[in-house]
Amino acid sequence: MIDTAWALWALLSRDVRAVARSRSQLYSSLLFPLMLLALLGTGVSSGLAPTSPRVLDGDYTSYLAPGMIAMTALFSSTFSSAGFYRDRESGLLRAILASPHSPQTILLGKALAAILIGSAQALLVLAVAVIIPGIDLAWQFGWLGGAATVAAAVLALNFMLSGLSLLLAVRIQTMQGFHLIMNLLLFPLFFFSGAFFPLDQTPAWLEVIGYINPLTYAVDLLHYASYADSPDGLIGPLIDGLVLGGLALLLFAVGLRRAPRTV
Amino acid sequence: MTLLGPNGAGKSTILKLLSGEITPHSGSVTIFGAPHSRQARRRIGLVLQEPSTDDLMTVRETLQLHGRLFGLGGGLRGGRLQTRCAELLDALGLSDRADDRCQTLSGGLRRRLDLARALLHDPQLLLLDEPTLALDPDSSGAIWDTLRQRAASGAAVVVCSNDTTEAEAYADRVVIVSAGRIVANDAPANLTAGLRRDAIELEWAAPSNADLAELQAWDDVGSVLQTEHGLLLIVDNSAAAAPRLFQRFGAEIRGLKIRESSLRDAWFQIVGQPLPQPRDDEA
Repeated sequence: MIDTAWALWALLSRDVRAVARSRSQLYSSLLFPLMLLALLGTGVSSGLAPTSPRVLDGDYTSYLAPGMIAMTALFSSTFSSAGFYRDRESGLLRAILASPHSPQTILLGKALAAILIGSAQALLVLAVAVIIPGIDLAWQFGWLGGAATVAAAVLALNFMLSGLSLLLAVRIQTMQGFHLIMNLLLFPLFFFSGAFFPLDQTPAWLEVIGYINPLTYAVDLLHYASYADSPDGLIGPLIDGLVLGGLALLLFAVGLRRAPRTV
Repeated sequence: MTLLGPNGAGKSTILKLLSGEITPHSGSVTIFGAPHSRQARRRIGLVLQEPSTDDLMTVRETLQLHGRLFGLGGGLRGGRLQTRCAELLDALGLSDRADDRCQTLSGGLRRRLDLARALLHDPQLLLLDEPTLALDPDSSGAIWDTLRQRAASGAAVVVCSNDTTEAEAYADRVVIVSAGRIVANDAPANLTAGLRRDAIELEWAAPSNADLAELQAWDDVGSVLQTEHGLLLIVDNSAAAAPRLFQRFGAEIRGLKIRESSLRDAWFQIVGQPLPQPRDDEA
C-alpha cells in the first residue's frame, strides 16, 4: 500500500514537472481561453449587444467566463494525453510498466497528475477572470461558497475528461488519431454546452442535444456557482452535480479497469 | 547468457515473456521457480531495445522515478535512493551529467542511463535487448564490464544481440534462436570447437549450382553458403584452399578475404544462414 502511494506520488510529481518544463504547452493552455474571453467577450458584448435575459446586462464577457474555465480543463486534458503519447513514443511508458505496479496504478498516477494540472490551470483562469475589471462575476452565494463549488465542478470535470482520455489514449495508437477523435468529440460537445450561448434560448433540437451533452452539466454548475443570479441556474446544482460526478466516476473507473498490460 | 538470432527470430519476444510484458499463448513461463508475479518483477531489471528516457527529465530524476517505482527511498528525500543513484552514476560514468536533461545525452550515455536504471533495485535477473547496438567501443566496453561484474556477483544476465563478436568475447553461454526455436545452447568455445579453422569470404557474382556442388565435394571444405556478395567457405586450411580456388574458379572470383572462423560461422553451420552483417554505424 505504501509502495503504491509512493509510486503514485513519483508518477504525479514527474508529470507535473514535465508540464511545468513544457512552457509552450503551459502558456497556450492558459492564454487561449483568456484571449477568447477578452476578444470574443468584448466583441459580442459591444458588437452584437445580446439581449438574452441569461446574459445579464448584455455583458457577454462575464457570461463567457465560466465556459472558458471549462475550456481550459478541456485543453489541459488533451495536452496531458499528448504527454501519454510522448511517454509511449520515448519508451518511458514501457519502462515504467515493467515496474512491479499494475497498469492501473501507473495510469492512475498519470491521470491524477492530469487532473491536478487541469484543475490548477482552470482555477488560474478563474483567478485571472476575477481580477479583470471588465468581468463581473455575480457569486450569488458569496465568493467562498461559489469558489468552492467551482473547484468541485472543475475537479469533477477533470476526472470525467481524464477518464475519457484514458479510455481513448490506451486504444488509439497515434497522437494524431487521438487529437482527431478528441477534436471531433469534444469541440462539438463544448459548443453545445451552454458555454457560448444559453441553451434555453436555442431551437428545441439544439436544446435537446445540450441536455444529452455531459459538458452542459459542468458549464451549468460553473454558471450557477460564479455567474447566474437565479437560484437554480439552467438545470439545477443537484442534477448538475449528480450527472457530472456520476459520469466522472463511471468513465474513470471504466478507463482504469480496461487498461491493457502493454501499450 | 546471450540470445543470438537474426531479426524476427523471436529474441525480443523471449525477453518480453521473461519480463512479464506479455504472456504466452500456450505453455508457461517460470521465473525464480514460480509463475510470473509482481513480486518476481521486483527482482528483474530490464533494458529495452531503444533508449527509453524522457527528454525533459534529468538523469538523476530518471533514476529517482524508477527507484520510487521499485520501492527504494521511503522519504521525500529518499536517503537510500540517493545513495544508490550516486553509486550507479559513478559506476557508469554519469556523475558529471547527473543534473543534465536526457535530451542532451549522446546515444551511448542514454544506454548507460538505461542500464543504471535497470540496476537500481539490484535485480537478480537482468534482461537486456541489444544494449550495445550502435555504440562506440568505449560505451560498449563500459556496459559489458558492468554486466560481467553483475554476473560475477551472482545475477543472471540475459542479453539479446546480433553481435557474435561480443557474444564470443563476453558471454558464458550462447543460445541461438531461429524461427522461435532454440537451435543451439552452449558455451561459445564449445560452439566453435567443431568448426574448421578458417573462413574464406569470396566475391563471386553468380556461382552456378554445379560450382556449389563441386566446392561442397572438396575434402577440406566444411560448409558452403551463398551470401549477399558471393560465397562463404569454412575450410581446414585457407593457405591450401585459396590457391586451389583461384586455380579452378579464378575467372569468376573478384575478391577474397581470409579470417579465422568464429561464432558467426558456427551460427552459419547450425542455422544454415549467415547472421546479418552489422551496418557501419552498428560496428
